[in-house]
Amino acid sequence: MFAQTIALFKYLMLGILSRRLLLLTLVLALLSVLVGGFFSELAIINGREIVVALVADFLRYALGLFALLVITTSVAQDYEFRQFERLLTMPLARWQYIAAQVLVIGSLCLLLVLPVLLVISLYGEWLVGLYWASALWLEIFLLGLLGMLAILSLEKIPLAVCFSIAIYLLGKLSGLISQMLAESVRLSDGSLTSRFVDFIFGAILYFLPGLESFADNDVFFGNVDLLETLSIQFSSTVIYALFLVAVCLVDFYRKEFNL
Amino acid sequence: MRRADRPIVQLPAPLVWGFMIVLFCQLLFHYSSQQQHEAAYQPLTNPLQASTYRGISMGSDQLFGYLLAIRLQLHDNQMGRHFSYNRIDYHRLVEWLEQISEINPRSEYPMLLATRVYSNTRDKEQLRLMLNFVERTFEHNPQLHWRRLTEASLLAKHRLRDLELALRIAEKLTLQPAKVVMPNWARDIHFLLLADMNEFESAIAMIQALIQSGSISDPDEKRFLESKLLDFQQKLFESQQSGKN
Repeated sequence: MFAQTIALFKYLMLGILSRRLLLLTLVLALLSVLVGGFFSELAIINGREIVVALVADFLRYALGLFALLVITTSVAQDYEFRQFERLLTMPLARWQYIAAQVLVIGSLCLLLVLPVLLVISLYGEWLVGLYWASALWLEIFLLGLLGMLAILSLEKIPLAVCFSIAIYLLGKLSGLISQMLAESVRLSDGSLTSRFVDFIFGAILYFLPGLESFADNDVFFGNVDLLETLSIQFSSTVIYALFLVAVCLVDFYRKEFNL
Repeated sequence: MRRADRPIVQLPAPLVWGFMIVLFCQLLFHYSSQQQHEAAYQPLTNPLQASTYRGISMGSDQLFGYLLAIRLQLHDNQMGRHFSYNRIDYHRLVEWLEQISEINPRSEYPMLLATRVYSNTRDKEQLRLMLNFVERTFEHNPQLHWRRLTEASLLAKHRLRDLELALRIAEKLTLQPAKVVMPNWARDIHFLLLADMNEFESAIAMIQALIQSGSISDPDEKRFLESKLLDFQQKLFESQQSGKN
């Protein structure tokens, strides 16, 4: 069973790996260096810290979006070319496909963060580079799982990408939205509608990743305990990843395929 | 396989004429809006609250604070033209600097902009606003901002010619507890300004207190204080003599 899952993982991984993937990753890394170089000319002080933080954030969002596109395209192709139907005629359980996809997402994220480790270590300390690469791996992995869930459920790339980005941004901007809703409740003298919307958003927050699930960019500016920050992110990511995988399994097992 | 294009002459005439008119309108509109932008100075907008910026930053608070500071630093350069600092609304500028300091309290950037960049204005009221900002922000983190406060004191003395303000600022540095680590010269500014204001008695009392406290371990600093003490005593004596005459 384990060997079958690994074989499926290898097959799926081969479908993703290409020269274009490598080239795009390198182009993104190069672009981040150029953007960073531009800002280093502008900053009066702390130029190095600003540049490395900016490069790190640029790579975070660029690679996150890139990983999301790669993963959704890969699963969408399985739908398009009726790969699922073919796989289900083989002695394979559905969970093995999900497990293989999780391994693919993990491996893809690893490939993507390796240039990040190199770039950040070149700009700053290697320990911070190692932290950022690990934290970014966790963040992109989570985004990848979100993408997998979205494409399995929605089956269309644009819908899946938009849904995943919306959830990702909602998680990241939850603080701002909560603040706006709290302000709305205050300004409307606690009107029922405002309180209801605030309550609903509060409930939605239980299903979103919190800010602690994402890489902390402040590490580039000061004394942050890297190990503690990473361990908090790790535990938060593990719990949310397990939740996403569980939803993926439920959704995938419910799907009807015309064999 | 690439689909072949029909020649333009085969297109319906109203479509071609319509396209030409729309293209002309687009170019004209773009040109006129560009002219307007080039001519006019765009004033600073009101900043949002620091908590809102923190939310927008999506977790990268400090980086966002720095980016806002850089944006503010570039405000006087618009559409390739440099505008004089006199055109900037300094009250709004202070609001921006305060919000950026709140987003990123561990950064010196807003204070640096205040003392090194926006202090280069010829308007004394604007300069006073910058110095007040520096004075206020210093209280939040004296260890981080003592350099900027010394600069503010010198600006008040040399640019504003306001010795009272310079002295008040310098006094803040002197009154800092020993746990705020700064070089001795930063604390010395206070008695040097007192001497500039002919307050020799106070300056002498300060130096004597410093020497007697035993807190000065550096021999060069001790020598400097002793030479200043003699110098001020001499000047005090001379001023007393001239007063009698």
